[in-house]
Amino acid sequence: MTERKGIGESGKTLKQMLEEDDELYEATGCYHGITDPRVLAEDPIRGELFHSRIMASLIAGRETTRMVSGSPFVREVAELCLGIYTPEGDNIAQSTGIQIHIKLMGDNIRWMINKNYEEEVGINDGDFFISNDPVIAGMHAADVYDILPIFWDEELIGWVSTVIMEMDIGAVSPGLMPLANVERGTDGIRFCCERIGSKDKLNRDFEHKIDLCLDMADIFLLDRKGAMAANIRVREEIKRIVSEFGLDYYKRATRELIEEERRNQIARIRQRMIPGRYRSVVSAEFPMANQPVAWIPANKDHIRLIPIQMDVLPSGRLVLDFEGTGEWGWHPCNGTPQAIWGAASVSVVQTLSCDGRANLGSLLPIDIKKPTPDSLLNPVQIKKLATSTPWAPLLDVFGMWLHMLGAAYYLRGFREETFNYRSSAGWQMAGYDQTGNKRPMIAAGTGYFGPGATGVCDGVDCGGWLATPEVDMGSVEVWEMFVPHMEISRRFDPYSVGYGRFRSGVAIPVVSMIHRSQQLVGSGALGTASDGIIPNLGQFGGYPGGRRNTLLLRYDNLPARMENRQPLTHELGHPATLQERFPGRVHDCGLMPAPTELFEGDILANFNAAAGGLGDPIERSTAAIRTDLDQGLCSEWQARNMYCADVSHDGQTKEWTVDEAATAQLRAAKRQERVVRGVPVKEWWQTSRKKLIEHAIDAKLLEMYRSSAKLSPSFAQELKDFWSLPDNYAF
Amino acid sequence: MSYSKEDLRDLYDGVLPWHKTFEIISKPKDDDRFDKYVAFLQERVSYSNKILMPLGDHLNVVAKDGERIVKCDCGYEFGDWRQNWKLNALVLSRDDTAKLQEIYPGLKCPNPDLCEVREFYCPNCGSLLKVEAVPVGYPIIFDALPDIDSFYREWLGRPLPDEKKLEDMTYAVTKNWGK
Repeated sequence: MTERKGIGESGKTLKQMLEEDDELYEATGCYHGITDPRVLAEDPIRGELFHSRIMASLIAGRETTRMVSGSPFVREVAELCLGIYTPEGDNIAQSTGIQIHIKLMGDNIRWMINKNYEEEVGINDGDFFISNDPVIAGMHAADVYDILPIFWDEELIGWVSTVIMEMDIGAVSPGLMPLANVERGTDGIRFCCERIGSKDKLNRDFEHKIDLCLDMADIFLLDRKGAMAANIRVREEIKRIVSEFGLDYYKRATRELIEEERRNQIARIRQRMIPGRYRSVVSAEFPMANQPVAWIPANKDHIRLIPIQMDVLPSGRLVLDFEGTGEWGWHPCNGTPQAIWGAASVSVVQTLSCDGRANLGSLLPIDIKKPTPDSLLNPVQIKKLATSTPWAPLLDVFGMWLHMLGAAYYLRGFREETFNYRSSAGWQMAGYDQTGNKRPMIAAGTGYFGPGATGVCDGVDCGGWLATPEVDMGSVEVWEMFVPHMEISRRFDPYSVGYGRFRSGVAIPVVSMIHRSQQLVGSGALGTASDGIIPNLGQFGGYPGGRRNTLLLRYDNLPARMENRQPLTHELGHPATLQERFPGRVHDCGLMPAPTELFEGDILANFNAAAGGLGDPIERSTAAIRTDLDQGLCSEWQARNMYCADVSHDGQTKEWTVDEAATAQLRAAKRQERVVRGVPVKEWWQTSRKKLIEHAIDAKLLEMYRSSAKLSPSFAQELKDFWSLPDNYAF
Repeated sequence: MSYSKEDLRDLYDGVLPWHKTFEIISKPKDDDRFDKYVAFLQERVSYSNKILMPLGDHLNVVAKDGERIVKCDCGYEFGDWRQNWKLNALVLSRDDTAKLQEIYPGLKCPNPDLCEVREFYCPNCGSLLKVEAVPVGYPIIFDALPDIDSFYREWLGRPLPDEKKLEDMTYAVTKNWGK
């Protein structure tokens, strides 16, 4: 018997290389044991050229996919990106695009290595692997990873991976992000790092399978071909780079890029933050009582706490701790420890590592304490559970973490880097489209929302400081070709805002009318798990935006209204009077509408809410208030009640004016009112404590606290310590 | 990389022209920012105690008689920085529909059975210092407990006198309240 020769460096197996890689980091604290990075530094121009060539290949690959794909997610939203990896699955560089997947793509590669694919499955030049299982790595099952090894003279020298969000994963209707599913089998098609092609060609048996299993097989397969084209293009460019720069240089320089970024990231943390402890909490609501699931025990509304603690250590490391997170549940939004890394990646890359050099090194200074087993973020019953949509609570977590990072920047004086983020939710559908094909659909934008204020200006309106796909869903006209609806409104909603000295961005509600479908079912699409409990995103004296709403508006008699040429509803207007103004029924469907049949003329609306304002609203400049009034971004009621500004409108000139002296009086009176209305915290604490002792709070909240206390004795002790509850107290 | 005192003042006040603001956002960060920031804040407060650490709009940790206390711009003192300053504030808890709808009308109103919006005011000047939206019954959040001594000693290289042990002293206060 001769010893088997591995496909890695010097005949090593990938598993050996991975073990060595981890050992070197463990021993030295430096990536791959590089304590003395010098290759890039010796000739910086050459180093820059080398990095630029890699980045250019990734960006060109991304654009290649967009040209091949037929999916609006790829062509319009550009929800895809590419990364280049070391043989062990460590990210060297990532293309433009959503910055979530730096580690997740690599974790898929590591999973294959650890499962001994090299010997038991085989890894050959020209093989394509795909994966979409958040249990291995990923944020939701709709994200499909296409992975291609890169060989040089029979040695595997790296990997290239593309990730694309798919419009159809064969999940239970309706949806690509299904909600009416609680068991794993209903999540849709799972690919667990499976080989779907070889010798640079997609396998025909795979094509047959997709053709039979997915309603949108053509879109799915075109996306695979787009990803293959991109991956091959990048692979060939990497080979050209190796031939020009030399293999030794390639190997050393790619690893130094990671170590260099690790060092830079620690330097950025020490430059921009303040060491210490930062805390907040996310509440994740799961309204499952009315979801039509076969596993009936799932029919229970419940709420789970996700406390977040970020410790910025004097060493420059960040530690994230979710101690106190409640239990997993029968819903598709259970997180996985791997998925948390996606949230971490998008947060730090876009706030700290925004110089185009982000890679695994950006994440090495971050420690995520493994969430308690059996918790929402680490369920152990993973084989039974649906995990298709961990995205929802995790988006809330990373929006909150951005808020906490923002506080740390603010304390250090970098107020311009302070902001926070809030995602949204809306409708998705399944049914017959305009051309008679039955398939899942997302009802276009859940987005058009406003991000949080910064410490130096208002949040951008209808956009995002953070580039996530929701902030730009692309061309409405293209979406109208894919979904049997017409978007009938484009108007800023002043009531979406989070008030503050600097306010959040203002959101635009999505208002679409169903048109030309024979049969259609709608249900929720989730990018958040917040509903009745609004997120804690007010920065200092700023308020978080209010509740967001998924609405179904149904006219009493639409044909007659059209026949009589009466106006249709194009705007949602004031949130307290919509039912009075709409000639029909307004259904406030909550966070996760259970599947509902939809009909011609129904209006689906996402009444968005923005993230948070910053600072006391009564300190807002009157010039900013006047501008907002002129631009329809603020109502007179808001100017008077939230900003305490004495404003008036001239009907002749159509201009707003602010009476500065009267405003000063209003603001002084508001300060007086607060001092009179506010009570000492001790007094409030005693009243609140009494309610807890008597269990006089909502049963869902008691169950929520019980769930967290059950998993975490230390969290239970903190609750008891804060409320000075007896040792034998039980929630 | 360094910015003038005037530019930073205008940046913080929100009146710096956008092209300059964008430049500050997008360029590499300035190493001397913290000291200039503290100097900017010091000019705007009503007291002479030295600001050691900004804590948010209107709140700073200052040195006073060998201790570090949280102080409002108006001069009101909230106590040791290691206990949550909110315990010594005034609070308005928006815990019913009427009070919540003053801020969030109609469909925007959170569920008052589940959600509480707490507003913390300075008892002296009436500034709104923090808004907290949490599930009913959740402890008051201790948003930030800065490690002041490590910061000065290890990151700035100029240790402060009278170093203090970093610990959360909030529960000592609530324990006393429960007696």
